[in-house]
Amino acid sequence: MTAVGKNVRRADGEGKVRGSVRYGMDYTEPGALTGKVLRSSLPAARIVTLDTSTAASMPGVRAIATAVDAPGLSGMFFVLKDQSLFAKDEVRYAGEALAAVAADTEAQAEAALAAIEVVLDPHEPVLDPDHALTDGARLIHPDWENYETIVPGPRSGNLAWESRIEQGDVDAAFQQAYRVVEDEFRTQRQHQNSIEPHAAVARYEEGRYIVHTPTQFPFNVRGRTAELLGVRPSDVRVVVPAIGGGFGGKLDIMLEPFACVLARKSGRPVRIVNTRSEELRTCAPREGGIVRLRTAVARDGSILAQEGEIIADNGANSSGETVACANVASLVLGSTYRVPNARYVSKVVYTNTPPTAAFRGVNGPYCVFAQEMHLDHIARELGMDRRDIRRHNLMGSGDVMVNGQEVDGPFLQQAMDELENMRPWQQLETSKRPYRGHAIVPVTWLTNPGAGSASVKLNEDGTVTVASAATEIGSGAVATGVRQLVADELGVDFHDVLVTSPDTDTGGYDLGAQGSRTTFGAGNATIDAGKKVREQILDVAADLLEAAPEDLELADGSVHVHGVPDRQVGLAAIAATASMTSGPIIASGGFVAPPEQFDGGCMTGALFTHFTAATYHAHHAEVEVDPETGQVTVLRYAVVQDVGRAINPQMIEGQIQGGVVQGLGYALYEDLRVRGGQVVDDDLESYRLPIAADTPPIDISILENPCPYGPLGAKGAAEPPIVPVAAVIGCAVADAIGAPVNELPVTPFAVLQALRKQDESAA
Amino acid sequence: MTYAFTLNGQPIEVEADVAGMTSLLSVLRESFGLTGTKLGCGEGRCGACTVLVDGTPVVSCLYPLANVDSSDVRTVEGLARPDEPLTAVQSALLDHGAVQCGACVPGVAMTLTALLECAEHVTEDDVRAALTGNICRCTGYTKFVEAAASVAADSGGRR
Repeated sequence: MTAVGKNVRRADGEGKVRGSVRYGMDYTEPGALTGKVLRSSLPAARIVTLDTSTAASMPGVRAIATAVDAPGLSGMFFVLKDQSLFAKDEVRYAGEALAAVAADTEAQAEAALAAIEVVLDPHEPVLDPDHALTDGARLIHPDWENYETIVPGPRSGNLAWESRIEQGDVDAAFQQAYRVVEDEFRTQRQHQNSIEPHAAVARYEEGRYIVHTPTQFPFNVRGRTAELLGVRPSDVRVVVPAIGGGFGGKLDIMLEPFACVLARKSGRPVRIVNTRSEELRTCAPREGGIVRLRTAVARDGSILAQEGEIIADNGANSSGETVACANVASLVLGSTYRVPNARYVSKVVYTNTPPTAAFRGVNGPYCVFAQEMHLDHIARELGMDRRDIRRHNLMGSGDVMVNGQEVDGPFLQQAMDELENMRPWQQLETSKRPYRGHAIVPVTWLTNPGAGSASVKLNEDGTVTVASAATEIGSGAVATGVRQLVADELGVDFHDVLVTSPDTDTGGYDLGAQGSRTTFGAGNATIDAGKKVREQILDVAADLLEAAPEDLELADGSVHVHGVPDRQVGLAAIAATASMTSGPIIASGGFVAPPEQFDGGCMTGALFTHFTAATYHAHHAEVEVDPETGQVTVLRYAVVQDVGRAINPQMIEGQIQGGVVQGLGYALYEDLRVRGGQVVDDDLESYRLPIAADTPPIDISILENPCPYGPLGAKGAAEPPIVPVAAVIGCAVADAIGAPVNELPVTPFAVLQALRKQDESAA
Repeated sequence: MTYAFTLNGQPIEVEADVAGMTSLLSVLRESFGLTGTKLGCGEGRCGACTVLVDGTPVVSCLYPLANVDSSDVRTVEGLARPDEPLTAVQSALLDHGAVQCGACVPGVAMTLTALLECAEHVTEDDVRAALTGNICRCTGYTKFVEAAASVAADSGGRR
């Protein structure tokens, strides 16, 4: 019996529905103190006084830490090291840590925080990214030139990072344009809001920090914690309990280094758990963006050239992925449609606001929103049908993306064709009713290429254990996908594959649950190890069965001789034999995606340079707008998604449904507002998340265009369903009201404003 | 003052040193070690802390201990005993692939259990309405609705 392709029940599922699974937020240790972090109330200030002496002598207080206890500078992925654990001399955002306290009880910790004397001398905060880039804007990091970077990146003052792609002769192409169309789009911050807040429990033992934390990326937490504390990565051990959601928000350190430093100073385990308000105010969301597009088109709708400027709000430092992902913006703009001549400049800008980071799809959702609204604008200018202009410019087999990479097949066309079967375009166009609209958006997306490793061993009872630092953030990639792959590789039952909890001491390096890479990267690494285990098993079995290894097959927990049904030996017997002869059966494996060919010369400052295991998608939405209230109702939604190979179709459907609904929240109401440098939406009453009643029917069609280096052809599936959603909703609303919407979210107020503007111009 | 109530079928007394306004959630988690019920937001909004008090879903993070005096309290741990098979709701959630990170699932399971135990006929709209107080950030809710609908169908509208 094979497991791949089946909707197996997730291995962690029973514990999750019984409530017996222990999450990061449930974990504690005997004698654990409660840790709390004192955070700046102002967005920009000089620290005049920070006096902890009164607090230190208060009842129950066991340790207080400040900047002197964490000397290091670091940055996400070690790209741009401009972040200290505690503010030192200068405060750069409201919410930046000033001190941390560990006490016997929460009440004592809070009392101690209140007793720390803080005097701040405020500066005028720099809040608007455009303003931050102007000459004479106050420098948020006056010392920016001295920061270490992973590669030399174009940077200057408040411009934390810039990446550029220049392809062809843009200026010449603009000269020949039939029309030039220009637009500006603005988008908001979106908060991951996993149900489980960030939580960390650390202890200090034998000169090492041991921290339990529900992180998506244990090796990053290890390295980043070590760098901030000024110790070696191997001085930190990260162990991962069950994770209650992440969506990018748990890739980076948040509370771990505070817990570690307090544990060392107090000699006791320290537990810190964020409140929801702390989550919203201090845990880095998707960045707000400004996208300016200018496109030269021919009379037939061909895109001749495009210029794009993407301004991403980094916040006060580079503790999130915004810098690392800068070039993704340009890649996304130039990989779905043919843009033969392109100049994209992606700027990541410092502001005195909380740092921003990865949220599923990183900058993709707002760049695709901008590109698609812009294409509709071009279609209006040319009097073209909205789908025709898309099909006309769509990347096909052998076409070249903006980075010089060739498209590996006619898969976008396939996705559009399949969507046509589900939602016949012309039929919907002709049957249109007032205040109803629809839209279609194709998109190319990528799979994170990062490294993974795993070891696989055959247990004495014939079961199999995978040791890996790959994390299960809920997608099922470890709870089903990796297990399904190993089960089939070794011919054992799915339930007989066990996977260890991620632990940086025992698991090999893994790049974490990001960019849909777990089934792909960790899956490949596990298969690599599994193949070696398979060989060892067959070698032992060949002796026992007196047959050649090539005549043997693994199935149902046994090794069989081809065509001789009664000649077989169970895996338990093989394990026992091996332990007496060749040694216990165990092997390790690794994976990193092979390079793709692209044109490196057209890019500067690019950390993401190309598409690995590219996936192809098309989404369609139908909406209805209430002209009295501005309320948008999504009537139904359709997704065509290429996954390479569906290892567990039901889990993929779950990723698509969940990704679309997160995208609907982003498109229509989720908005982490920052005013005067303060986060306005610091609770779930104010920050509106999608609820069950908001979910439209979502029809799904899965395409399987296998990737030659994916596990059994599989590519990333979990991240992309969010990417085109805001675009398709924005375009559908614009279709419904006959007016563009160039900002997200498309709130009822924005809809009413667009309708009023239209009335005024008609009058 | 002592508060007496039934917790997952067992008679329970909570002693005087716990203040009456203490949240039921913190008593469940800290006094009884029932960590299946989650503190998601602490504001009564996300519903990860949903338990049943006399069969009605409540957000235990805001529900005062004093209010459960003489009541029957059920948590996710009380749906199926550790050595018993899963309930129909729990099993349907897994069969329909409705569990991802699972942090909201204890609350969702309680809400759906309450709905399916008392309603005669349960429609998909009923399920969506019942889940208004349970935020799930992973699934997009569709598979919760399918799971609940299948339980309703299997039991002819009753469970």
